[in-house]
Amino acid sequence: MIQLIHVSKQYDRKPALSDVTLEIGKGEFVLLMGPSGAGKSTLLRMLIGAERPDEGQIFVHQKNVTTLKPSDIPYLRRKVGTVFQDFRLLPKKSVFDNVALPLLVQGISSADIRRKVTEALRAVGIEHKRDQLPAGLSTGEQQRVCIARAIVNGPVVLLADEPTGNLDPALTAEIIELFKLINARGTTVVVATHDPLVKAQVNRRVLTLSQGRLLPEERVMV
Amino acid sequence: MRTLSYLLRESWVNMRTNRTTTMVAILTTAFTLACVGIFLLLYVNLRAAAGWLQDDIRIMVYLDDRLASDSVAEVEQQLRGDRAVASLLFISKEQALGEFKAQFPSESHLLEGLGQNPLPASFVVALSPSFRSPDAVKRWADRVRQVVGVSKVDYNQDWIDALATVIRSIELVAIGIGVILSAAAATIIANTIRLTLFARRDEIAILRLIGATTGFIRIPYLLEGAVLGALGSALSLVMLKFMYELFRQQMRTTGRFAGLDNLMAFFPPSVCLALIAVGMGLGVAGSFVSIRRFGEAKA
Repeated sequence: MIQLIHVSKQYDRKPALSDVTLEIGKGEFVLLMGPSGAGKSTLLRMLIGAERPDEGQIFVHQKNVTTLKPSDIPYLRRKVGTVFQDFRLLPKKSVFDNVALPLLVQGISSADIRRKVTEALRAVGIEHKRDQLPAGLSTGEQQRVCIARAIVNGPVVLLADEPTGNLDPALTAEIIELFKLINARGTTVVVATHDPLVKAQVNRRVLTLSQGRLLPEERVMV
Repeated sequence: MRTLSYLLRESWVNMRTNRTTTMVAILTTAFTLACVGIFLLLYVNLRAAAGWLQDDIRIMVYLDDRLASDSVAEVEQQLRGDRAVASLLFISKEQALGEFKAQFPSESHLLEGLGQNPLPASFVVALSPSFRSPDAVKRWADRVRQVVGVSKVDYNQDWIDALATVIRSIELVAIGIGVILSAAAATIIANTIRLTLFARRDEIAILRLIGATTGFIRIPYLLEGAVLGALGSALSLVMLKFMYELFRQQMRTTGRFAGLDNLMAFFPPSVCLALIAVGMGLGVAGSFVSIRRFGEAKA
């Protein structure tokens, strides 16, 4: 599903990623761990074509992201859901409208939008807040809306960049459970985090980055 | 359908959010385009006037005083046979004298002192529409001058030519000012759109991340530019129409140019629509420039 072959990237001559090679299979749940500045966000951004590597090749869902034309990048992103630490919700739009946005940009019919958004909101347990604005929600609820937006399209891959960074341990556990549920439905999930709590709760394959290099893998059997 | 209503709603929200900037952009665009419109209106009216004068041109073909009456008939025959001639009116020496006396009664004693009638007989010729261009009139007059019995061919082409020169100058000035002020209008709209883009940069970033195409992201801003341009242009036409009516009123009350006000014309509806479309085009162009500079195509 995801393949990086000898990928390197520098910012101002400082290496962000150095010769990273990895493969993540369909339906896997992978934690991408490492301290701040290890290159986790850079790697995730490369998977959605927001950054290009200086060297190497990246494949996502059989597409070579490194050679993708800018006009094809939106179509890649429709297959890859993204969840952020800061949620990135539109403050003036209701929960429903925020979650509907990825469908709206694809020109999907109103009836299908209603159905899919309702399903996504139900999946993250926030259907009753559909008409509220993000400001009226707790941080945990906002993260759920962000996850609903990421899965509403039925993506093949879900990328989450420090999704629990703003949450307390109880909420972190809830969100991790949600990711597990999404993964159980067949979606490949990659969560970038530096939170050991998440690692303990997930108990799956862990990829560790340190100063842009991928450390030898520790595989956990479930 | 939902996508279309979303895009239209977003444009509307953009304009409502930046109400003051939107109003200022429409007003400044209107004033800028009104300046262009003044020259355009002047140009259109002067061209129409030149056209009427050219259409109304009468050529005086003066006959040799010594010409016998059967030779006059021959000249008349020749002129009537000319396909360029639409109508012909013979004015005898006596009629010419009569007209002179009627037009200038206080000067008639001058001619009486001469003893004999010095005014020549003439034909007043009106040319067919296809022979009324300045060049065609000149060619025809040159040809008729060669006809035996014709002493002089006269027409008021000189000042029609002078008017044409003035019109050409106004045309050049209008084009120059039009280009500069249109660019100014596009820049005003571009800056307004830039403010909107800046205010909504987070939203644009989110749209990019969830798979919106460049076109989808651009459309609300291009629509906003189109609406600003069209409204600015429409308002400039309202301002121009107001100034035009005021000017006509002034001419009517002054009395000096009585009658001339009826010859003046405002832009026909088709031109008004075309000008609104031009305003819309300028708005879209300005918006496009801003979007490109903002770099929303980037990740």
